[in-house]
Amino acid sequence: MPGWQTFYHELKGKNFEIVSVAQDTGGVKDAGPWIEKANPEYAVLIDEQHLVTKLYSMVNVPTAVWINEQGKIVRSNEVAFIDDRFKSFTHMDAAPYLDGIRDWVAKGERSSFALSEEELRRRLTPVSRDRLMADVEFSLAEYLYHAGHGPEAIPHFKEAQRLAPDNWNYKRQAWLLSDADRDYGTNFTKEVQKLNGKPYYAPRQMPEPASKPD
Amino acid sequence: MRRLFQSVGLIFLCSMANEASSQVRGVVIYDGAVTELRTPSPFTQSKDLWVTLAELRRATGFVVKPQGVCRNELCFPLPKQRKGDFLVQRGKVTWFNLSEFAGLVNQPIAHDEKLAAWYFGPRPEAQNDYLATLEAPNFTLPDMNRKLHSLSDFRGKKVLLITWASW
Repeated sequence: MPGWQTFYHELKGKNFEIVSVAQDTGGVKDAGPWIEKANPEYAVLIDEQHLVTKLYSMVNVPTAVWINEQGKIVRSNEVAFIDDRFKSFTHMDAAPYLDGIRDWVAKGERSSFALSEEELRRRLTPVSRDRLMADVEFSLAEYLYHAGHGPEAIPHFKEAQRLAPDNWNYKRQAWLLSDADRDYGTNFTKEVQKLNGKPYYAPRQMPEPASKPD
Repeated sequence: MRRLFQSVGLIFLCSMANEASSQVRGVVIYDGAVTELRTPSPFTQSKDLWVTLAELRRATGFVVKPQGVCRNELCFPLPKQRKGDFLVQRGKVTWFNLSEFAGLVNQPIAHDEKLAAWYFGPRPEAQNDYLATLEAPNFTLPDMNRKLHSLSDFRGKKVLLITWASW
């Protein structure tokens, strides 16, 4: 987050906002310390229900969406790190994405990073019945967890994970709320190993920066 | 309808814990809002969720009218031959089969039988209708200080929406 604050500071005079949303069932208890530590100027919201994950069909964090002045999506879900600390996971440089944002902030629709409606429609697809079912199972699990029924929440978290196997948010959040090995027979490290070279984050599809020498 | 689904930012979870659980026969979570069901039900053997018309209105905002099951300008007609699947009279009380209705309108449900909790999700049209307009789905969520912010508050600016998590 401190990195994003620097980035925000650079662009905030150009009619640009960051809206940061924590996907944390534990709410302020879990997300709060991170926010307090970074104390950024931009809005940081707490999403106990993973509402944004569901609305935007996200499967991972950090995921970013670009939204224009009219409230329309300009670029859909992509991994968005502020630096290369997690490059071993992302296999992507952070800089081209950040430069893309700068380009868009400067040029708006004319930016080569702003996607056409046609391309957006190709990338954004209707959710399946399984996905909708996964969302309600996850939501019920969260409700039960908050209502003091942690153990009863687990089968519903598991069902959500089964119905939406690509959704890491649904896995990692559930694992955090209990003992992953005991209750789910797995954990993050094991599941990442199972990827066996497949990317943890979907690769980005971005235009090559014009200035790049190769 | 869409606005309602998309603007649900907070779930009010406390009500269940504070009430005496003995009289509560079930809990409905609809559009993110929690409603307890307290009217003793004659349908104890049913796998379906039967609610009184008052409970229906309180839990979902829907009202049964001659033209169908309606909320504001939205109305779902009940299939004529199947009215009895949805509406049943027991003494002075009319009961409505809310889980059957969810099936009729393709609304996904998650159910915990032991805890009698029913979670109703968005209909596919509500979930997918931003694909037509490409308008970023709106939401309203609190910050650290419980102040609510909506994505739509930032209209007129370019917005980088970015999610993260502590886990």
